[in-house]
Amino acid sequence: MQKDWIARIKDQLTPIVLVGLVLAVSLYDPRFLSVSNLLTVAADTMTLFLMASGVTLVIMMGGIDLSIQSVASMASCILAVTLARFGFGAVLLAVLAGLLAGLAGGLTSTVLRIPSFIATLAVGGIVTSVAYYVSDAHSVNIPADLSHAYLGWAVGSPLAIPNEILVGGVCAALLTAVLTYTPFGRLVRAIGHQERAVIASGLNVDRQKLIAYTLSGGMAGLAGVVMGARLGSGSPTLANEFLLPAIACIIVGGTAVTGGVGSVWRTLLGALIIQVVRIGMTFVGVSVFAQQIVFGTILVAAVAITMDRSKVTVVK
Amino acid sequence: MTTAVPSLELRHISKSFPGVTALDDVSVAFYPNEVVGLIGENGAGKSTVLKVLNGIYQPDAGEILVNGAPVKITKPRDAFDRGIAMVFQEQSILGSLTIAENIFLGREEEFLRYGFIDSRAMNAAAARELKKVHLDLAPGRRCEDLTFAERQMVEIAKALSLDGRIAGQLTILLDEPTSVLEAKEVGLLLSIVRELKQRATIVMISHRLDEVLTISDRVIVMRDGRVAKELPTKSATVQDLHKHMVGRQLHHEYYREARQAKVGAETILSVKALSRAGSFQGVSFDLHAGEVLGLAGVIGSGREDLARCLAGHLAFDSGTLEVKGKPLAGGSVLKAASSGIGLVPSERKAEGIVAALTVAENITMAALPKFVKSGIIQFAEEQRTAHAWIDQLHVKTPSTATPIGSLSGGNQQKCVLAKWRVAGVAALILDHPTRGIDVGAKEDVYELIRDMTAEGLAILLLADTLEEVIGLSSRILVMKDGAVTATFDASPRAKPVQVDLVRHMV
Repeated sequence: MQKDWIARIKDQLTPIVLVGLVLAVSLYDPRFLSVSNLLTVAADTMTLFLMASGVTLVIMMGGIDLSIQSVASMASCILAVTLARFGFGAVLLAVLAGLLAGLAGGLTSTVLRIPSFIATLAVGGIVTSVAYYVSDAHSVNIPADLSHAYLGWAVGSPLAIPNEILVGGVCAALLTAVLTYTPFGRLVRAIGHQERAVIASGLNVDRQKLIAYTLSGGMAGLAGVVMGARLGSGSPTLANEFLLPAIACIIVGGTAVTGGVGSVWRTLLGALIIQVVRIGMTFVGVSVFAQQIVFGTILVAAVAITMDRSKVTVVK
Repeated sequence: MTTAVPSLELRHISKSFPGVTALDDVSVAFYPNEVVGLIGENGAGKSTVLKVLNGIYQPDAGEILVNGAPVKITKPRDAFDRGIAMVFQEQSILGSLTIAENIFLGREEEFLRYGFIDSRAMNAAAARELKKVHLDLAPGRRCEDLTFAERQMVEIAKALSLDGRIAGQLTILLDEPTSVLEAKEVGLLLSIVRELKQRATIVMISHRLDEVLTISDRVIVMRDGRVAKELPTKSATVQDLHKHMVGRQLHHEYYREARQAKVGAETILSVKALSRAGSFQGVSFDLHAGEVLGLAGVIGSGREDLARCLAGHLAFDSGTLEVKGKPLAGGSVLKAASSGIGLVPSERKAEGIVAALTVAENITMAALPKFVKSGIIQFAEEQRTAHAWIDQLHVKTPSTATPIGSLSGGNQQKCVLAKWRVAGVAALILDHPTRGIDVGAKEDVYELIRDMTAEGLAILLLADTLEEVIGLSSRILVMKDGAVTATFDASPRAKPVQVDLVRHMV
């Protein structure tokens, strides 16, 4: 009976931690709990969530995508540079570039049989160079009128709810539907749990991997677009320092680094936790320079708490 | 001899896994300077005994005594430090290290000088150990360059190196030490075992009853997780041992021979001059509808690789493979499965099932695209199919949504069979389909094999025991060193006997 309770609490640990953190920060400053502030916090979280949402699929499958921050930066550059010429087409172009970068990482990993962390790290390097070429190594401004005309869907708030939240919510719902109702979604879990058995059942595992990496790149591209829209510029270093928090929010959400277990909703909760921690740190007065220390610590702690390491004898 | 303190003793050891009792109140004692043969069918509990002694499994009950004192063994190193050394079939030698480094792995302190390993001293010590096993190799050679037999000898040398380094009597457990050796090497190994007896207790786990009878002083027979019989070798014969291992007289009904289907005319799988370098050469046969074709052979005969090749897990170098007259390229499970060949793998947990997915998800896995309409899985249809097969194959599961990993091995295996039936295969390759499942579940699997052939499926069988392959097959191919050495008709009541097959196997 007691064990039941512990198991149930462990299942719901992520939302409990989130609520706890929100309350803790509100004790510090009650204004934090106001609706408008909470909406702002949520809106600020969405770029991080979008970056992490696609990688969630890759991690569930037992891989990793380390190229996402480069992809997001590149997408912001492509958006900023081409927005004047192509309008909405620039948005599509930026996301498409992300999809291609993801596909490239996937192909490198599956065709050449290279571990995904190496493949995506290498592709990330290439992508960064592309971003430098596209932007001529400068931060490229997005004029307010263009932003208003073509990026309002990402940054406005005509419905009292910031559009970022709507974009994030729609993406979370779509990806969850994909995971729940499509054969791809089922195979993501199956491959994460026991890839050999899926191969031995005569299924095309490589194709599922390519889809996951491509989606991961596409979501990173979209994150870059939203980020560029919010900041009013594109830059080849725009999303730097985002990789660690993105991976952290996936793991904090409860997706297992060993594959098989996880969901996009969990990543959304994880992203909110990371964001509240970030704000909390600012409240408490932790230096911005020290924040990555905290994210690193949270990441290790989350893995340590969520993973049953008694069964892991070999760590590579 | 029996008045001495046992060098190793198990008292009332029990161990169970979900659905299977692997060891049931096992008590055995091994005395100094004796060779004990530990025999039993697959699944009798021999390897569980080894794993308990090695600390890989913790027993649910009972105790282990070394030289009369109770001990707790929680990891392989504990066993080693207490003078229990194991020589496994799947060897623990590391290829990238030298012979000397392997022998003294984890015990390098002995050779430390100013914090560095004195490799000259280590090599000299290793040479002394190698002499004990008559292995004339430079201790500085890397193990990946050695033959399989040489590596096995290195492993034995490693075990022997405990002699004089630990207090008390040494116990060496050899797990199927001869199964992959050539005849000459077997002779050498047995003579070394005879010498070792002077300074250690030797436990030999083996399938080869004749060897056990030649070398041992005493034989312990295990069956269904219990000690079925202990007897002095002097008074034992191969027939005796066999009877104790099986625990019943052979009778036709055990393998449902009455239900053995008449072999159909249609050729499902046609194999012509199939070769794969290092595995098998020039193998040809036809597999017909309704037929159970048994593949017999020892480890290294190439039959496992052949089976995996036919199912697309491995590629072949030359020859042709046809499924219902259509050529099939090797090396792709995807292609093999879509042309109608399924493999029920021997490593069920790694390749047969995804333990964390549900029973229904596993049953439909190989045919998943069939359950998809406009990109969406048709869950209701999937449930119907899963229920139908659970009923038909009598799978014992709380529900279709139960994770398959929580079922017993036998029920998991039924789901693996169901998976390929749902995929609609015409030929099924069964690689040790009764490995690691209970006796009762084995009979269910035999029944299912008869059901499938009655429906016209063609089955290629790699069985756990000769008895099983003879009992189930309509025809038997014997393989040795990668080639087919004999073909036997195995019609009901005209079955070959084991010695006939063995003659062509070794």
